[in-house]
Amino acid sequence: MSLFVEDPAYLSKSRLKSDLVAHNVALPPTKSKKEVYVDLHLKHIAHNNAAEFSSDEEDQEEDVADKEEDAEIPDPSCLTDDDLKAALLEHGVKAGPIVASTRALYENKLRRLLQSEGHGCLNGVEKGVLYSDSEEENGEKEDEESGSERAKEETVEQSDQAQQRSSQFPSGSQPVMSSGGSLISSQAFSITQMVKEVESRRSLTTSTDSERELNGSNVQEHWSRSTRLDKPIVDKYTINNQSLYYTPKESPCIRDMKLSQEPVEDMLQEMFPNTEATPTGICATRRRPIKGAAGRPFQYAYPDTPASPTTLERREVERRLVPFQIQILVFVIVACLLYLIYVCVEDYSFSPFVALLDSLDQGSDSEEGPLLQAETQDTPALSGQE
Amino acid sequence: MSSTSQKHKHFVAEPMGEKCVTTLPGIGAAHGKRLEEKGFGKAYDVLGQFLVLKRDEKLCRDWLKDICGANVKQQGKAYACLKEWCDASL
Repeated sequence: MSLFVEDPAYLSKSRLKSDLVAHNVALPPTKSKKEVYVDLHLKHIAHNNAAEFSSDEEDQEEDVADKEEDAEIPDPSCLTDDDLKAALLEHGVKAGPIVASTRALYENKLRRLLQSEGHGCLNGVEKGVLYSDSEEENGEKEDEESGSERAKEETVEQSDQAQQRSSQFPSGSQPVMSSGGSLISSQAFSITQMVKEVESRRSLTTSTDSERELNGSNVQEHWSRSTRLDKPIVDKYTINNQSLYYTPKESPCIRDMKLSQEPVEDMLQEMFPNTEATPTGICATRRRPIKGAAGRPFQYAYPDTPASPTTLERREVERRLVPFQIQILVFVIVACLLYLIYVCVEDYSFSPFVALLDSLDQGSDSEEGPLLQAETQDTPALSGQE
Repeated sequence: MSSTSQKHKHFVAEPMGEKCVTTLPGIGAAHGKRLEEKGFGKAYDVLGQFLVLKRDEKLCRDWLKDICGANVKQQGKAYACLKEWCDASL
């Protein structure tokens, strides 16, 4: 049905419906106004006519996008709860119950989804970055884009872009290679600059590695400029490397570091003959992770004060023991008491002081002897006393 | 971010009962007042909303932002706390 000039506004609603069905366009909900049908009619049937003459994929893809967008009616607030839920489901979002408190959220979500489809991949990527469930956007995008940028999530996109950059990169370096390779090599790296100053122009021997070193130095450029000894070489260098200047710094710098190690190593090995050769030439010891910092768990907990186990044990024991002076005092008191008791018991008298004086003279001799006897005598004596 | 605050630990450790919404980490006095005005005065009200939204992180964060103006960090704290509470006690 390719009726060119017929204005859809003059067609009846049912006629519009049938036209849309004929063109395989999804119908909007039945309650929508005629204007919606007219819009759809215009868009799709006009598009189809255009598509007959051009073979743009994009237009056809836009058809699909528009079709989907229009089918939802970009006004989620007009939808019923069930319609809203269905619309979200079409976008791959499993919505929970649409209640008073949740309705606004789901409407916003639907709006965002519709907008992201309409604006294309860029916005979709941005929103995909922000929100966790960006999967539903991908399925619809795959058809639209040629696949290099938007086939998958942003990570893949970034890797693709990195690949593109790296592919651009060698092409950029080739023209530079042809001109003045040896000059560039000598000023390529700050490390070689340092060596140069120490050993005056020994870096010229690295000219064999110039090809690899050319990859360098958008970053090293300005370092090397500042320390360069020959000014005319500077000019040539800056001119030659202009083409490299706008290439991204990421991959060249990384390849830089790896490739630059070989010429530099010779210098460094001369300077530091004892260091072992490492594949990248970088000798670095891993810093011990700070235990307990930033939430890292303790493997085994260290005590606060660095006391050895023996000192700790001694402290423990000492804490339980009674202090020494008090021990002596108690001993003396107990000894006196015992002696008094002995004296009292033996003499049957309650004025022991006289007896004490006497017994002190005699007690040293006879103490040990009658002590044994006293023990046996004590009990009958005590019983006798009572 | 492996460290959790005291508030978080206190909340997750026990049934929330009748706790006020300000006991949620990320929800202070100001946010708590706004939530109360909207009818979410107790922690279980927010839990209810959280469950109705199917515990979806994005939706919950959006809801928190809309209802009381919580920033990303605060949303994250509240969401993480409720999520852990549900994992432990639901």
